[in-house]
Amino acid sequence: MNRRDVLRSISYLAGGAVVAPSVLTLIQGCAPSEPELGWAPEYFTEDEARFVTSYVDTLLPRTDTPGGLDVGVDRFIDKVMAATTVKSDEPSPIQEGIRQFDTDAETRFGKVFHALEADQRGELFSEAEKSPRYQPAVWGTAVGEQPPIGFYRSFKSMVLWGYLSSEKVGTEVLNYDPVPGEYDGDIALSSVGGKAWSL
Amino acid sequence: MANYNIDADKALTYDAIVVGSGISGGWAAKELAEKGLKTLVLERGRIVEHVADYPTMNLDPWDMELRGGLTAEEQDKHYKSIRSGFIGKDTEHFHANDRENPYTEVKPFLWIRAHQMGGRSILWGKQTYRWSDIDFEANAKDGHGVDWPIRYRDIAPWYSYVEKFAGISGSKEGLKQLPDSEFLPPMEMNVVEKAVKERIEKNYPGRNMIIGRCAHLTVPHNGRGQCQYRNRCSRGCPYGAYFSSNAATLPAAHKTGNLTIRPFSIVQEVLYDDAKGKATGVRIIDAETSEAIDYKARVVFLCASALSSTQIMLNSKSNRFENGLGNDSGELGHNLMDHTYRVGATGTVDGFDDRYYKGRRPNGIYIPRYWNIDKESQSDKFVRGFGYQGGAGRGGAREAANQPEYGATFKDNLVKPGPWEFFITGFSESLPRHENKVYLNTDVTDKWGQPTLTIDAEWGPNEHALNQQAQEDAVEMLERAGLQNIVGFNNKHEMGYGIHEMGTARMGRDPKTSVLNGFNQVHGAPNVFVTDGACMTSSACVNPSLTYMALTARAADHAVRELNKQNI
Repeated sequence: MNRRDVLRSISYLAGGAVVAPSVLTLIQGCAPSEPELGWAPEYFTEDEARFVTSYVDTLLPRTDTPGGLDVGVDRFIDKVMAATTVKSDEPSPIQEGIRQFDTDAETRFGKVFHALEADQRGELFSEAEKSPRYQPAVWGTAVGEQPPIGFYRSFKSMVLWGYLSSEKVGTEVLNYDPVPGEYDGDIALSSVGGKAWSL
Repeated sequence: MANYNIDADKALTYDAIVVGSGISGGWAAKELAEKGLKTLVLERGRIVEHVADYPTMNLDPWDMELRGGLTAEEQDKHYKSIRSGFIGKDTEHFHANDRENPYTEVKPFLWIRAHQMGGRSILWGKQTYRWSDIDFEANAKDGHGVDWPIRYRDIAPWYSYVEKFAGISGSKEGLKQLPDSEFLPPMEMNVVEKAVKERIEKNYPGRNMIIGRCAHLTVPHNGRGQCQYRNRCSRGCPYGAYFSSNAATLPAAHKTGNLTIRPFSIVQEVLYDDAKGKATGVRIIDAETSEAIDYKARVVFLCASALSSTQIMLNSKSNRFENGLGNDSGELGHNLMDHTYRVGATGTVDGFDDRYYKGRRPNGIYIPRYWNIDKESQSDKFVRGFGYQGGAGRGGAREAANQPEYGATFKDNLVKPGPWEFFITGFSESLPRHENKVYLNTDVTDKWGQPTLTIDAEWGPNEHALNQQAQEDAVEMLERAGLQNIVGFNNKHEMGYGIHEMGTARMGRDPKTSVLNGFNQVHGAPNVFVTDGACMTSSACVNPSLTYMALTARAADHAVRELNKQNI
C-alpha cells in the first residue's frame, strides 16, 4: 500500500495459494451431446474448459452489467495458466481441483458440473462456501494463521481477478481514474455513484 | 532526455570514480561533479533514462498480457526475489536476474538487487526519516556494536542539504526521537486514519500517529512535477514526482558536464598501491564483452549497495590488505543488519460506510518509536525500539472472494467498495552482531566466472523480543481504538525482507574495530569512501535511505576538501 506498489491480486501466481484436494478421482469423459465450447483452450482440456466456463458463468452471470463470460474470464484464465505453469505430465492443483469438483457433482447429481442445472450448481457452491477463508492481507501477503484455501475459493479469487482486471469492467463498470491528480481523503461515497475505484 | 555521456573508454583516468548509481551513487556523482571533479560512474547494468526507459509507467492491468502476472520463465529468472511478493510485470525489468547473479544462503536471506542505472532508487519505498541522537548514541549506551563516530549535530546540516534538493513531504511534529526534516507540505490522512489517530493519541499519551514522511513532491520542486496520486511509482514516474537517481541526482550531475557514466561495468576490485598507501582506481569486467579494464582516479566512492560494496572490498586483495581492502579489523563483511518486517495488526473500522477517498496515495501513516526513548519508556525485555507503518483503505477483491455468495447479487455488490480496513506493521531495529556475516564464495561463480557472496545471518533474541512487543502493542492499540475483526500477525520473515540490509563495512572511531572512519573513509585507504548501507554502525528502526544520502553528500564534501589540501 504505502511501501511498495503491490499487485496483491496476483499473489497466488507465486505458488502455494492453490491447494490440491487430498483425493484424486478420475472421471469419465464427456457425453456425446456436449455443447460447443466456442474457443480453443491452450492449457485446459475441452472438459476442463467447460468446467471453467460454467464456473465463471455461475459465479458472475450477466445482469445489466457484463458477466464473467462477456469479458472473457474463462479464456483469460486459460491463457494465464498456460503462461505461468511449468509444463508437466502431472495434473496441476487446479486441474486436480476441477476433477474433484466434478467428481463431487457426479456423486451428488449423476452429472459433471457443467451439465448441471443452475440450482444444482448453486447447491455445490453453497456447500463449498463453508471452506476456509482468506486471512486479511498486508501489502499483498496474508497475515495471521492462514488455513489451507481449497480449490473452490482460490479459483473464485482467480475468477474475480480476471473479471475486475478486465478493461470493460475496469473502465465501464467501476470508477476509472488513471491520473487522479490529487488525494482527497474524505469524499462522500455517493459522489462517485457508490462504486469502487478500479485501479 | 539527458543523453548521458557513456563514452568512457577514450579516457581511462578521472578525478573521481563512483561505483554504482543508486541512491548513494547518484548523490556522490552529483556532489563530486558539481564540485568540479571529472567523475566516472560505473554502473553494472544498462542505462535507464528518466521517463524514456519506463515502459510500464502508464499501463493499466489489461494493457499487460497477463494483467501483471509473470510467465513461468520470468518467475524462474527471479526465483529468489519473487519471495518478496513485489515483482510483477510492471517492475520485472528493474529486478536483477537471480540465475545470472547467484548468492548462497547459509540461513535464509532475501537479497533484492536492481542492476541498472538508478538501481533500487527506482523501486524504493520512499519513506524518509531522520535519525536522532537516540540512534547515534545507542551503541555507546547499551554496548552493542561499536560507537558511531558521529552524532546528530554532524549530520543534521547534511540532512537539510539533501532534503532541500530531493523534496521530502511531511508534517512538523517536534519529536525528539524523529527530528523534523525540511518539509514540503504533508500528504493528507484519510477520514478513517484521522479518526484512528485521535483515538490512539488519546489512549496513549506519548504515542503519535503522523502522516508518512516520504520523498514525494506534494508541490513542484526543482524542476520536477508534483505527485499525481497514481501509485505506480516503482515503474518510474513520468512526472519525476518521487526521488530517484534517474529523476534527480544524475541529471544534475550530467548538467555540470563533468559526468561520464559507463554502463555494463562490473567492478571487481579496488586497485591499491602499497607504496602510496591509497587506491589508484578500480578494475572492471565489461558485462557484455567480459573484457577487464582498469580505470584510474584520485578518489573512489563505493556506492554499489551494502553487500555489493562489501563484496568488492573483500575481493580487493593486496600485500597491505590480504583479507580485503580496509579489513585490518576483521569486521569487513560482518555485523549485517536489516529491519524486521510484517509484524503488527490489522482490523476493520465501522461507522464510515458512506465515506471514501479519491486518489491512490503512495504513502501511509507512521507511528514513531515510543519504547526506550527516555527513562519513562524503558523496557526490561529489549533494547532499542520499533516504529509502525500502516494505513486505512477500503477492501477489494480479496474480501469479495471471502463472501459466502455467488451469482447476480454477488456480482452487483462487487462494484461497491469493501469495508474500511486499517493496519499497522512494525519495523524493528536490529543489532549489529559479528556473527551475522557475508563472505566470498569461490565455489559458486557468477555469469562472468567471478566469486559470489555467501550470506550467513539471522535474527537474534533482541529482534524477536521487539517483534513480540510490536505485535502485542499493535493488537492492543487497535482494540482500544475500537476496531473490529482484529488479527495480530508476525510473519517471521527471515532477514533481507526489509530490503534495508546494511552494516558490513561499519564506521567507527577505532581502526581496530571498524572499517571506515567518521567521514566514511576506509581505514588505511583514505581516498576510498564507502557511503551506501555498508557503512552503517547501527540500524535504528527507521528507513535508512535519507541517512545514506546525507552521509554521501557529507563524505563528498570532505573528499574534495581533502583533495584540495592534498591530504589524499
